[in-house]
Amino acid sequence: MLNLPRWQVIAIVVVTALAGLFALPNALPGSLLNHLPGWYTQSRINLGLDLRGGAYFLLEADLRGVLNERLANLSDSVRGELRKQQIGFKDVTVQSGAAVTVVLREEAERAKAIEAMRTIDPSLAVSGQGDTLRLAFSEQELLRKKKEVIDQSIEILRRRVDETGTIEPTIVRQGDERIELQVPGIKDTTDLKRKLNQTAKLTFHLVNEDVAQTGQNLPTNLPPTTFLVPTREGMQALRASNPKAYEDIQSANPRLTPEQVCRRYQPQCLPVFKRVVVGGEDLDDAKSTFESQQGGRPIISFTFNTAGGRAFCNATRQNIGKRLAIQLDGEIISAPVVQSAICGGSGIITGQFTTQQTQEQALLLRSGALPATLTIIEERTVGADLGADAIHAGTVAALVGTALVILFMLFVYGPIFGGFASIAMMVNMLLVFAGMSLLGASLTLPGIAGLVLTVGMSVDSNVLIYERVREERENGRSPFSALATGYDRALTAVIDSNLTALIAGVLLFGMGSGPIKGFATSLTLGLLTHLFTATVFTRMLLAVWVRWRRPTELPV
Amino acid sequence: MLWKPHHLIRKRTSFDFLGKRKIALLLSTVINLAALVGVFVFGLNFGIDFEGGIALQVRAKQGEVHLDDLRSTLGNLGVGEVSLQAFGDNRTALIRVQRQEGDARCVAHADNVMKRRAGQGWSVKQGPSDTGDVVFGAPGGLDAAGWREAVSQVGLTIQERQLPRANTNTARIDMSVEQRAEWCQQVAIKLVEDTISGQYELRGTEAVGPKVGEELMHSGIWAVVATLGAIAVYVWVRFEWQFGVGALIALLHDVLSTVGIFVLFRLDFSLTALAALLTIAGYSINDTVVIFDRVRENMRRYKKMGLIELLNFSINETLARTIMTAGTVFVAVLALVLFGGPVLYSFSIAMLWGVIVGTYSSIWIASAALVYMKLRPEQLRPKDEDEAAKAKA
Repeated sequence: MLNLPRWQVIAIVVVTALAGLFALPNALPGSLLNHLPGWYTQSRINLGLDLRGGAYFLLEADLRGVLNERLANLSDSVRGELRKQQIGFKDVTVQSGAAVTVVLREEAERAKAIEAMRTIDPSLAVSGQGDTLRLAFSEQELLRKKKEVIDQSIEILRRRVDETGTIEPTIVRQGDERIELQVPGIKDTTDLKRKLNQTAKLTFHLVNEDVAQTGQNLPTNLPPTTFLVPTREGMQALRASNPKAYEDIQSANPRLTPEQVCRRYQPQCLPVFKRVVVGGEDLDDAKSTFESQQGGRPIISFTFNTAGGRAFCNATRQNIGKRLAIQLDGEIISAPVVQSAICGGSGIITGQFTTQQTQEQALLLRSGALPATLTIIEERTVGADLGADAIHAGTVAALVGTALVILFMLFVYGPIFGGFASIAMMVNMLLVFAGMSLLGASLTLPGIAGLVLTVGMSVDSNVLIYERVREERENGRSPFSALATGYDRALTAVIDSNLTALIAGVLLFGMGSGPIKGFATSLTLGLLTHLFTATVFTRMLLAVWVRWRRPTELPV
Repeated sequence: MLWKPHHLIRKRTSFDFLGKRKIALLLSTVINLAALVGVFVFGLNFGIDFEGGIALQVRAKQGEVHLDDLRSTLGNLGVGEVSLQAFGDNRTALIRVQRQEGDARCVAHADNVMKRRAGQGWSVKQGPSDTGDVVFGAPGGLDAAGWREAVSQVGLTIQERQLPRANTNTARIDMSVEQRAEWCQQVAIKLVEDTISGQYELRGTEAVGPKVGEELMHSGIWAVVATLGAIAVYVWVRFEWQFGVGALIALLHDVLSTVGIFVLFRLDFSLTALAALLTIAGYSINDTVVIFDRVRENMRRYKKMGLIELLNFSINETLARTIMTAGTVFVAVLALVLFGGPVLYSFSIAMLWGVIVGTYSSIWIASAALVYMKLRPEQLRPKDEDEAAKAKA
């Protein structure tokens, strides 16, 4: 035990030094952090909302509502398609949350009817007997839609909560139908709820091709029916070349009109008619798919509701060959050329797109309205001063706890062995901090409690070893032998007792939500790193000390 | 004082721990029965985490908190049971209000809040009784943006689809009964906030809807059961089944008696309390395993020694360690109790008890259980290979 190969000593020192390196950014002042590379300073421990103040929300999406809405739309399409193909039917009804049922007039037309249904959506699951058809979305389709609804909601929440890009909310999926939203630094949630209710403004406008043909980016005399709107690429180029200007635009209060943005900052702009062809509230869905012919290029397909479909049909019929601009929150996200009249209530946008682009565009098209009602099912807010109190209390408790434990160890085991235990305990803390930094974990008040407990429990291994050494010494072994045997005999107890405690920690982590997760994280990490300090690090300290001092008596 | 080691126990002790096992058994039975009766008779002081409801931490703008005044004001509000407690200092209080159901009373509260926040011309009424719909009435016509702004006042988050398209002065927001129940927690917060905002400032709020409360309760119970089960299985695999059973009984003992502490002191039983239970289980088993490890070792060494004598011997051998470790954890937790602040108070008190009971149960429950199961040396597995290797070293 006391003959430690040199490479092991080096490895232990390297691990400890690395831990110190990763834990260090947490202790450095902000002014210094700015001069260090981002990859290094990035991995820091975040303060949980209970310490820095802020709001936590758990939102649940009403997926059943979404399904029913889709079923209602499907039943509309089914009626239309049956009429078009002149298949007689008695009834088309929606079974809430499940399927659409069609009752045909003639059982003989069943095959033809099924064929018609396939043209609406080839992935529909058709069942039923005789004159009855039961149409349901396939399992796969339902799963896809579920995921899409949540992804889209997250994207929309992000846009709404973080208009200015300075709030840094954390928005993550929780399970199948929930979203966790954390917004640091706010106390009044009324304002936040107002933001959640805010909708992005999506509108379709025709491009004024007469003005556009002049080729000027900022035409001097615009007809009163037309205004200028910056394009998305234009704004992104501006952001890259002049971030200051971009920030000014985003934070301007009152917000600048698109025209003002064009005139003042001169990004790439398009002249479009002010008249709104159709609004985003009439857009039911947009998704990225592939063209069925011509090599399957990625395209965007979209669907309007009845009113939107009619308006869109009229506008496209009269303006074939012209461009139709899609404006989202004062930026033109796309301006495809109208190829033909689009009247079925749905259409496609083609172009030289990559799949990633079509996915992005589809997401943007959908980001006008939330796809599902989001209900707040849990809310916790902490004022900043309350957080400051918690930090103070936690820090004092942690420092006092650590000091008491160190004093205790020094008193019982003396400066050398007690000192080793204290060093091992502090290295353990260092490892926990490094681990939490690397994981980007949040430190919460219960998390601090976990750290204090770790301090108290992590000297246990040293206690086990030292007590065993004392026993072996009393049994008449020589100092060397007592140290070696004591260490070895204590080892099974050290490992077993830590692994069992770890079980509780891991299960706590599994069930934990919010603050409890913070507690479980620090406690579990503490137990894990403790296995290192207890078995390897302490051993190294003892071995090095013995080799150096060659003691004739053990001061334990 | 710190420059030389001190032995907490001068010589090897030889206390007859297990000779007192009948007294301990009686004591433990009484404590645990009392805990059990307490839970059923007085009930646990559940926080909002498990029951749903709202909690507000408030601080008096001037002077001290007057709990009696607050109690009578909030008691007459019609939000159901309100519980109050001083929190930390005498300027701060924690107000807890029971879970709100999505009933007519809640809609009346929403009406109240809306009138106060947006103006007297506003109204909120219930929709058809078989739905959770709510009908908002405005003093004048509003467009979609105006409606969005208005419903935010009562903490309602909505989908665009739910809003009227054209300019109108009534809007029926459709929701399910469950959705309305969730929203009603928000209404209650606004109502309490409005009622006391004259004298008190809000430091933090919490709202847990019926759904989350129920789920947290289930997952909490599951976590405790799973933890105890997993630990027992681990001990069984590493030792023998008798040790596993002993550990399990000791853990149940610790958890139940800690729950008793929560009943006795009316401590807030919240998620942090649950964390305390699991941590106590972790601490207690840590202590138990150390003794079991020594028992196993001594059983292999002294095959002729009687079981009680052997257990006493092992407990005495590890006594110094037991006291040391209990001591270090105790002082660390004591620091939490004294300085950790009101949020951690319930947790820390429970942990303090946990250290004591965890240490006690390792000796008088877990080890005593081995006596009643009549563990004999030949029931032990032969030494594992790793232990054989260890013996060589």
